[in-house]
Amino acid sequence: MIGRTLSVLGIGLVLLAALHGSASGAWAALGESVESVDADSKALSGARVAATVHTGYSVREIAAASVVVKEYVSASGVVFGITWRGLIHPDLTQVLGSYAGTYQKALQQAHRGADRRRLRVRTDQVVVEQWGHMRNLQGRAYAPALIPPGVRIDAIR
Amino acid sequence: MQSGKVLFFLVVLIVTGAAMGAGSGNAAPSIPVPSGQEVFPAYSLIASPILSVDPSQAQPVGVGAAASGGNAVNVEIALDQFSGLVDIYFGIYAPSIDAGNVYLLTSSGTLEAVSVQALTSSLSSSGITPWVSNSSGEIIAPVLGDRSVAALPSGTYYAYLLVTPAGRLDSYYLWTTAGYIGAVPTPPADAANVLPITVNGALCSAYSGPNTPCVSVTVCSPGTSNCQTINNILLDTGSFGLRIFKQVLSVPLTQEAVGAGDLAECVQYGDGSSDWGPVQTASVILGNEPAVLVPIQVIDATFSSAPRACANADVSPSEAGFNGILGVGLFAQDCGPACTGSAENGIYYACSGTSCVGTTVALSAQVQNPVVLLPRDNNGVIVQLPGVPVGGSLSLNGYLVLGIGTQSNNIPSAVTAYDVDQYGEILTSLGGTVYSSFLDTGSNGLFFPSPSALLLPDCDAPNADWFCPPSIVTLSATNSGASGSPSGVISFQIASVNSLSYSPNNVFPDIGGPDVGEFDWGLPFFFGRNVYVGLEATGSGLGIGPYWAY
Repeated sequence: MIGRTLSVLGIGLVLLAALHGSASGAWAALGESVESVDADSKALSGARVAATVHTGYSVREIAAASVVVKEYVSASGVVFGITWRGLIHPDLTQVLGSYAGTYQKALQQAHRGADRRRLRVRTDQVVVEQWGHMRNLQGRAYAPALIPPGVRIDAIR
Repeated sequence: MQSGKVLFFLVVLIVTGAAMGAGSGNAAPSIPVPSGQEVFPAYSLIASPILSVDPSQAQPVGVGAAASGGNAVNVEIALDQFSGLVDIYFGIYAPSIDAGNVYLLTSSGTLEAVSVQALTSSLSSSGITPWVSNSSGEIIAPVLGDRSVAALPSGTYYAYLLVTPAGRLDSYYLWTTAGYIGAVPTPPADAANVLPITVNGALCSAYSGPNTPCVSVTVCSPGTSNCQTINNILLDTGSFGLRIFKQVLSVPLTQEAVGAGDLAECVQYGDGSSDWGPVQTASVILGNEPAVLVPIQVIDATFSSAPRACANADVSPSEAGFNGILGVGLFAQDCGPACTGSAENGIYYACSGTSCVGTTVALSAQVQNPVVLLPRDNNGVIVQLPGVPVGGSLSLNGYLVLGIGTQSNNIPSAVTAYDVDQYGEILTSLGGTVYSSFLDTGSNGLFFPSPSALLLPDCDAPNADWFCPPSIVTLSATNSGASGSPSGVISFQIASVNSLSYSPNNVFPDIGGPDVGEFDWGLPFFFGRNVYVGLEATGSGLGIGPYWAY
């Protein structure tokens, strides 16, 4: 407060870096096996895939145009959660795969807040949460039944 | 800020002027007697003191409900036990009211004016005496009686608590708290760079949701005096650029062309809702500023054919709750550099007939914050809203002031600037967890992950987007610049939305709800504060934008 000024004046102009690549992203939908996305990734060159391994699951990061998607994959190769962050939300019909119908039905009954900054749609089969603001939209989706034993929901973030 | 800095140095000067031996003493469950000169970062006004045996964690001065916009001022000082005997000095300084004097609390509980000049010359000859002498601490003391904000002169108040080893002044702890007490100062309403804001109230509509800040904007056909003034425009520090529903536009605007097509865009929001429509150039007048030519989005779900991301785009003002959005956040354009290089940005489209394809767009052709284009007051804005009493108000009037330090009515005073990351976000620590955070007039509550489902549970449906604590909860969070400093404590309250549902009021200082991965300081944060929005690639006395300051 007092006697303190902006300490990092030198930070200057920080611009949003252009996201990698220009190809459409390819990712496996929630509940699908990760082999399907391996095939898709080869077909659609340009999407960058980086993987990190954790206890009981791995995370695959796919940078598509305007949004970075992370897939949470169980040891048996099933996508149990997906998160994203970018200028746009990804196409949820694609992200949710066979869960899209359940989500759409629940969405129609969901109460939307007046301020349009966040949304939570929860069913027994699938949970979809979105939040953020212009230039930084985020979200996550997961299928509670597919989360491997010992993995906390908060790991999907 | 300047005056605070002066006194800060003054106290240090006074104290370092009297040299004596070193301090000692250090018992485990108590605060060590100061053995050096420690000045702790100033913290924002809080309702009640926070005790800690770690002096850097203690916040020994509270001011009562006035800390969060209430009317009651009850100054309380609390300190844990010390490991030895200490002297305690307490002083108040309000430079905008009396720049020449510091008011020191005497041992009899009254305030005594001591001139700043006397203090700076020599401490021993200034004749100041401690409020409490030869004490071992363990103090919880209301001081100065019960007062009300209404009865105090408005201004920024600084309170200082100095603890020294008994009888000595060479070592000390110095705590400082500061904040604005009183009605938010109102700029002259006829100033060219001022737009009135009404939270609900005159500039909003009957279908505005709670805590909706509205402004009025004048839009003209470019190059003509064919203008219309449009109310019920949502003031939004969380977005960038002006968007207006086609249904409320009565003056023709100039369609932007891209290649052989018309430029259009699909903007998405945090909840997955979206706005679709053409980008058109308008002559826009903010306040009584000169008109500026600026690309805006005309919200029109029926335009050409919307891409899939905008398949469920907003249709009408009554559905959306506003006639348009004025985005005056930290960035100049709604997309920025990411849309100048890639046609597959998912935001901008070139439309011919019923066919739309992704397109790149130069920065100058993107929908942008009209403030950037003003001839003079173009380095940011100040949102000025008065405090709101517990229980709420029917409506609230404030100001959007254009420019920072560019006119006599927008000179920064007693605020701290916080640097941001690439997303325009700072850091907020709550209950030991650090979240990315932002200051957003377009959010109608305080939204953050609940630190405890017991303390702060979600409401039952249909209000599950809100918190419903069993009783009003007071929380304390620490905001920091994205680089880690500066930082300051924010104290706030959350009441049950269900308990307010029968209230006739529309403006509430203490409503909030659950969020997943961020801390969204929505409109209640702005009540009783002047919040400075420092635009990217501009500068002011507060630093280089983008930054938030308050």
